[in-house]
Amino acid sequence: MLKKDLLELCLLQLLDGGDKYGYEVLTPLRAAFPDTQESAIYALLRGLGKEKYTEWYMAPGGGGPDRKYYRITSAGQARLEEMRDQWRNMRDAIASFGVE
Amino acid sequence: MKQPKSLTREQYLKQFSRAVRWRLPPREPEDAIADYRELVFQPERDESKLVEELGEPVQAAHLLTDVKSYRRWLKVFAVLAFGLFLLAKWDYMAWSNVRLSFAEQWWYPVWTMAVGLALSLYWFRRHGQKNGPLPKGLVLAIAVVLIAGCVVMYGIWDVTGAVMYEQVSEHTLRLRQQTRLVITAMMYVGTLSAVAALPGLVLAKCYDRRWLALYVLGVTVAAMIGFVTFYFKSIDLDYLTANMLQSYLFARLIPIGIVGLIGTGVALC
Repeated sequence: MLKKDLLELCLLQLLDGGDKYGYEVLTPLRAAFPDTQESAIYALLRGLGKEKYTEWYMAPGGGGPDRKYYRITSAGQARLEEMRDQWRNMRDAIASFGVE
Repeated sequence: MKQPKSLTREQYLKQFSRAVRWRLPPREPEDAIADYRELVFQPERDESKLVEELGEPVQAAHLLTDVKSYRRWLKVFAVLAFGLFLLAKWDYMAWSNVRLSFAEQWWYPVWTMAVGLALSLYWFRRHGQKNGPLPKGLVLAIAVVLIAGCVVMYGIWDVTGAVMYEQVSEHTLRLRQQTRLVITAMMYVGTLSAVAALPGLVLAKCYDRRWLALYVLGVTVAAMIGFVTFYFKSIDLDYLTANMLQSYLFARLIPIGIVGLIGTGVALC
């Protein structure tokens, strides 16, 4: 799994916890991966939309203008499950070398 | 380590918008710009850390770019821009270092125009996008190029129709001055038409594909003038009568002009 895949896994996992608007998705990921710029995370989020793993809708946001909310699709759920398996396998493989 | 430069929210969005409009296929830029507007104008966002958090605007646009389709566009743009460069050079210098053994030099600008029209119309009809009502600037630019082209064509008609009569009359000096004026007008109008076609191409990519009409018309005027320029340079006036010169030129210039005008109309539709 590359860093890009890890970011995708985190993005899908985050959206699996509920619909979120752009800034809400990008901020925790940037906090978790400080060497990655938000534009790179946004590009991945957009890529997930193109692959139909996520979709969006407009909804009122916090008294200001409408915001674009992202949600995970059923294809996205399946992809998330697949990536979780890959992550677990990788984690176990690394753990077998004694890496904590 | 290089310090990221500081940009205001407006500057950031402006630079980002320009970059995505140039790089992304139609419809996609507006979507990306709307998303970035939301991200950039978040109340929680610290403006001084904009570049640090989001990355350089051009870099951000690069991350969204489909490299394959962007490279295809760059190739098309390079061909069209090179054609404009040739037309501008030919009209300004009245000289070409390209020599093809199987064709007369005065046809080179017409071939360049043919390639430019076919490629640009094909590309923008497939990949371009209309955007709202017809821009006023486009109407004005088309009117200026069209009027300038018509004035020069009228000057050419006038001069070529008068040559033989004037050569034996007492008005030789006036004719020389008129001819010099027409040649100067050809040089500047031809070159400037080719130069004006370039922004037409860029604006057609970035904002509205109907700006291509400016490119098509600019190329047509430049090619027609290039055709006359090279023809004038290669003929021997001793063996031509006025009517021969005028009828030879305009029997070819009129169809070229009609093709250019049809192309302009197609670009506007």
